[in-house]
Amino acid sequence: MLVDFELVKRARDGEGAAFNQLVAAYRKRILGTIGRLIGHPEDVEDVAQEVFLRLYFSLDQLRSAEVFEPWLYRLTANAAYDYLRKRRRRMESRMADLSEQQVVLADALASGKVDRDEGQRKSIRDTVDSLLAGVSDEDRVLLMLKEVEGLSLKELGKIYHVNENALKVRLFRARQRVLKSFKAARKPVAGLKSWR
Amino acid sequence: MDPQDHWTGNDEERLDALFAAYRSACPDPEPTSGFMPQLWQKIEARERSSTIFSHLVRNLVTAALALSGIMALAVSVSHSHASTLPPESYVEVLAEDHASQDLGYFEPVQVEPAADQR
Repeated sequence: MLVDFELVKRARDGEGAAFNQLVAAYRKRILGTIGRLIGHPEDVEDVAQEVFLRLYFSLDQLRSAEVFEPWLYRLTANAAYDYLRKRRRRMESRMADLSEQQVVLADALASGKVDRDEGQRKSIRDTVDSLLAGVSDEDRVLLMLKEVEGLSLKELGKIYHVNENALKVRLFRARQRVLKSFKAARKPVAGLKSWR
Repeated sequence: MDPQDHWTGNDEERLDALFAAYRSACPDPEPTSGFMPQLWQKIEARERSSTIFSHLVRNLVTAALALSGIMALAVSVSHSHASTLPPESYVEVLAEDHASQDLGYFEPVQVEPAADQR
């Protein structure tokens, strides 16, 4: 745990400065996790603020120190899931805009207006994003927490309040679906060596 | 090691390498200077809206209680008004009302057969 539980208690009792300290301790980690869960850097701060907002209004339910981090991860996973669900709805109604955005990005890359490394990172993000499009938003978040964030089954069990075997089965199925899309896609990521 | 070097092996390994590259492509970002002020603005806005909502709920509950009080009063008044009426039932009142119209007691009519039918 990055902070002392006393700080959490003070924040729970309504001490604003303690809450600020709590946010300061965790915000970088949460921003990073959200960035990887949702894959859209432009919306990361908004989603992270939603996580801390939910934390602020639910602190009074917190009873012990050991559940704080799993609980924060749970809020993070839920906020990421909500974001992905809303985004999916938006994307379905704005497919034309998306293709336009891709054209703009391609133009920017071609004209050198976008940093080449950033272009490569975006390409990897887009590839993973499209591979994960085949799984549900819940499974996407779960898979990312396991495969990218590196959380153990035990930690995931604490976050989701589900037994490890159930999680293992769900993760296996989600990974198989992603693997299937991965095999089907087989196209090189821009800027990366061939991954055939 | 360059993540690109991992893009060999079977599909499982390639997928793991892609996830590793994805992690590198999404480093932990630094929060902007507006992060905390915006967060507090959102907290205060949520508190305001929840305060308005709780006021609304409280007012509704008060109004509902007042209304039920008024209805209870109205019912008790109508009961007390009803208790001043004669205690008889509707049938008794009706019977009393028709008492003057004494219908008497009718003997069953015995119809004797006509002489030619005997």
